[in-house]
Amino acid sequence: MKNVRIWFKKDYECRYISHLDLNRAMLRALHKSKIPIWHTEGFNPHPFATFPLPLSLGFRGVNECMDVKLEDDNYSFEEIITRLNACLPRGIQVFKVTEAVMKAGKVAFADFTIRLSHPTTSTKTILAQVQALFDKEAIVIEKRSKRGLKEVDIRQGIRSYEIRECFDFVEMHLVLSAGSSDNLNPNLIIAALERETGLEYDADITRNDLYNSDFELFR
Amino acid sequence: MVSKEVERLLLKVQKPGRYVGGELNAVIKDKKQVDLRFAFCFPDTYEVGMSHLGMKILYSLFNSVDYIWCERVFAPWMDMEELMREKGIPLYALESGDPLSDFDFIGFTLQYELSYTNVLNMLRLGNIPILSRDRTELKNIVVAGGPCACNPEPIADFIDLFFIGEGEEVDLEVMELFRACRADGVSKAEFLRRCAEIEGVYVPSLYEVDYNDDGTIKSFTPKDGAPQVIHKRLMKRMDESFYPDNFVVPLVEIVHDRAVQEIFRGCIRGCRFCQAGFLYRPVREKSPEVIDAQCRALCENTGYDEVSLSSLSSSDYSRIVPLLERLTEWTGEEKVSISLPSLRVDGFTDEIMNRIKTVRKSGLTFAPEAGSQRLRDVINKNVQHDELMQTCATAFAGGWTTVKLYFMIGLPTETLDDVAYIAHLGQAVVDTYYNTPNHAKGKSVRVTVSASSFVPKPFTPFQWEPQDTIPLLHEKQAHIKESITTKKITFNYHDADTSFLEAVFARGDRRLCRAMELACERGFHFDGWSDCFDLSKWLEIFEECGIDPAFYANRRRSFDEILPWDHLDYGVSKAFLKKECEKAYGGETTPHCRLKCSGCGAAKYGEGVCFEKRQDMV
Repeated sequence: MKNVRIWFKKDYECRYISHLDLNRAMLRALHKSKIPIWHTEGFNPHPFATFPLPLSLGFRGVNECMDVKLEDDNYSFEEIITRLNACLPRGIQVFKVTEAVMKAGKVAFADFTIRLSHPTTSTKTILAQVQALFDKEAIVIEKRSKRGLKEVDIRQGIRSYEIRECFDFVEMHLVLSAGSSDNLNPNLIIAALERETGLEYDADITRNDLYNSDFELFR
Repeated sequence: MVSKEVERLLLKVQKPGRYVGGELNAVIKDKKQVDLRFAFCFPDTYEVGMSHLGMKILYSLFNSVDYIWCERVFAPWMDMEELMREKGIPLYALESGDPLSDFDFIGFTLQYELSYTNVLNMLRLGNIPILSRDRTELKNIVVAGGPCACNPEPIADFIDLFFIGEGEEVDLEVMELFRACRADGVSKAEFLRRCAEIEGVYVPSLYEVDYNDDGTIKSFTPKDGAPQVIHKRLMKRMDESFYPDNFVVPLVEIVHDRAVQEIFRGCIRGCRFCQAGFLYRPVREKSPEVIDAQCRALCENTGYDEVSLSSLSSSDYSRIVPLLERLTEWTGEEKVSISLPSLRVDGFTDEIMNRIKTVRKSGLTFAPEAGSQRLRDVINKNVQHDELMQTCATAFAGGWTTVKLYFMIGLPTETLDDVAYIAHLGQAVVDTYYNTPNHAKGKSVRVTVSASSFVPKPFTPFQWEPQDTIPLLHEKQAHIKESITTKKITFNYHDADTSFLEAVFARGDRRLCRAMELACERGFHFDGWSDCFDLSKWLEIFEECGIDPAFYANRRRSFDEILPWDHLDYGVSKAFLKKECEKAYGGETTPHCRLKCSGCGAAKYGEGVCFEKRQDMV
């Protein structure tokens, strides 16, 4: 039995499916591909797969991963890529299979590219609006939790940022806290910005890479 | 493939995965390379429509023809519809993202009457004029088929032509004719006239209806050489009939998210309330070899780990045990489970149970339909009380602890005593559980009793019957509730208001079209969903149009009245239906097709169960 990490992109139509739907699509693909994956041993056996860090609905993911247990230690990684891709829709495509080097729980940061635009606001103005938001010492938003609404400062979760003006959008590169303990969803930053300016932006969000707490690339 | 404009809306609506296409096995063609584009519209949400087998069959069949590109269209849910209207985005097909108005054919499948407003609403969202006469050119031909096409009259003004019966052949014949007509520069009117010559095609605009003073139909007159009677089409040999080896596999969860394998069409039983049981006569089976091969291909191509064997009454498949034996040879190893919906009470044997239990234990559902034996005989359900108890005991001994029981209220001749028997039957099942010595240890039993309201349907022996009024249905629902004394029984019932509207449309005539038109103008949609349905708004419309809905729903029709669907022939004679209705009043049952032929008329197709060797003949 070997733990392997399957790396894929989630884009196009598949941006719009939830994590639960992605999970089901992957299980069906694993089933169809007949790759020797370890199955759960309950009453309804199904392929066992876990996702180190689920991706929000609507985001593009260019470096997503899923962990499975391979029953045949010598099974070729190339074969996994070919077989799985034949069983997946075009919006989900596997490009790499590796051994799982780091434990899934080690994910601590994620970096994002966000393209922000608004139909009637110039990129210059948007740039200034974003800069003004990031210049604040605290960005307090209301977050819905199990115990009702609570106020959270999300500024702490933004580890670094770069902003630049492009032809018809403003591009942000953000490194945000990620993982099970302290996760910052970039949608919250956009919501905070919208609350400040009263505008509704079009945001195209891509998650690029994951990192551990020492800022090493998650592998 | 969706446009930038649509993408902007997607993050603002619930379950955006329904509006993007891009699923595994979706068919993408080059629109420049095809001659004819067909928009297959299901007048309900994606999750409901994608679960429908007929659509899967026709989608694959149409796309197997080189010159046709068939795409899928579903009704957007309310949030999406509102945004699309606001932004002026027309309804589009999922494969190309092109608007409805780009399509040569716009085809609807009519599965239930309450989806009619969605049909009109979808046309409107696609910027297609809803009235057939307002669409004058040879394009955007609006066609419809499916079970509700058996009484097409309430939507006759909107649909250019209806497919009567099974669509696999006739649909393609009409498309081929369209292609020829367009090449010759023929008008739409002439195209429709030529279509009427094809068996199984009904062109409503070629008929005039006159009414008597009492509101009943006086005459139904064809013009321009259209046939007096339109005969249904059917696939005679199921083994040779087209069946997809591939389904579009949805990205989001749908209602029936599994592979579906049709095992036969029709039903031998002849329950007197059941429209499908008469429309699809005679029974035509596929062979176990063909089913096995088709099942296997489907599972392999979709990746589904569950396959459902579909028919009107699965345990009536004549070779059910050999079939299950064959399937379980590979399903266990491939980790595929088999489900058998539509099991009859008298068809659930130890052997079947053990076969379907090997991989996954699904819930058990039975439909006794009526509580008392007397009433079950009236409706010709032919299920005995002891059989039901025996079956439940078998299931309980096999480890099941939940059973769902489906009933109808408002059946012809029903009294409050019959209704109370529904509760008694539920109680008897609970008692059976505790009397079964080897039932699951330490577990309680759950019995769900569901009661829907009877809706009289065309082409059934009860097509002349009045529906119970809404107050009477409410009284009966309350009576069941009061008669249940244990918490082990959960009682559900169906909203009587929706059943009433269903009854109006099921047996309505062309005068309802005006009401439909108004409903469309007022933005009615999703009548089948409690989120949207409001009977009082419909009653307002009926009043404005001078229509008395009770005339259609609650009136007893005389046997010699001309019914709005009398010009259609589904193979079962009116004389037979009348005889069955009279037998119902006497509580006299009719044996099923394999026991004895009762001469319904379907033998004229020369195939199927009518020509099987019967036990009494051997």
